[in-house]
Amino acid sequence: MQTRRRCFVTLFALVMSVAGPLYAEPHTVWSGLVMAENVAQPAPIPRELTRIEQTLKELFGYNQFEVIGQSTKTLKSGDEDWLASSKYFGLHVDARGETAAGYLVDLKLYKEDDVLLETETKLSKRSPLVIKGPLVGKGQLLLVLVVQ
Amino acid sequence: MKTFEQKWTAWLDNELTGKEREDFEASLPDRAAAEAEKEGAHKLGALLKQELGAEALHNEEFFSNQIRERIALHEQTRRSGFAWFDYVRSTSWWTVPRLALSGAAALVLFALCAVAVLREKNPAEQSQYLTQILNARVDPVVSPNASISIFETKDDRVTVLWVEGLQSLPSDYAAK
Repeated sequence: MQTRRRCFVTLFALVMSVAGPLYAEPHTVWSGLVMAENVAQPAPIPRELTRIEQTLKELFGYNQFEVIGQSTKTLKSGDEDWLASSKYFGLHVDARGETAAGYLVDLKLYKEDDVLLETETKLSKRSPLVIKGPLVGKGQLLLVLVVQ
Repeated sequence: MKTFEQKWTAWLDNELTGKEREDFEASLPDRAAAEAEKEGAHKLGALLKQELGAEALHNEEFFSNQIRERIALHEQTRRSGFAWFDYVRSTSWWTVPRLALSGAAALVLFALCAVAVLREKNPAEQSQYLTQILNARVDPVVSPNASISIFETKDDRVTVLWVEGLQSLPSDYAAK
């Protein structure tokens, strides 16, 4: 009887370990407005960007990445919307439901009241999104979305 | 008319009878030597019969032994097929019902793993590990020369929307 109970518990644990990932928890999406610049004394890269630091440096050729506006949103229904904004820019993120791999999101980049850019995106949990924005002074505005 | 050699051979084999035998024995120049030779021939024949009989028996035993060995080998091979099963049955835990239960559990696990893998590997157009840009547009009035390209980096699976030709802005716009 003891052995049978032990077998059942082991089997249940194995089944749950396999079935568990099928029912994933809600995810947090970090969205940021990032100013990329070349400076003599670059500040450390923000924690949210460390994962893609090398890619950012190689792609855009800047040595400093400063977050000028950001927002972190935990998606529960997958239908939330939020805004990451700086003094002049605003990134509006409108989640329109969850997909098998992530979330369907509409993005709008505002410069004050003007919409500079619109995209419709399937944001994957495993793949960050980087958007090259306008040149600002000697730097470059980047939009970054990461599912954490 | 038989020759002497034919009669001699027949006499040695005791095949001459009656008057023919008496006439032949009477014609022998040395009867005692002939009898001795006959006795020797009989002994030799008996010896040959004995040896030939023993050889035949020896062969029979040899083949019999071969057959027995083959039968034993066949039996051993047949029994070895059940050896693992017998071992499993003789151990305390691996009884037949538990073996069946374990098999069923393995099948369930396999099915769950297969479902999980199929769910992971059922992308729509491209790998679902990558973020996909479904569409993108730039306001042509604000940025008439803008162009858009999309690519992914291999190393860290970053999807990049590369927009060229957006209106440049003064450094004041970098303010937080």
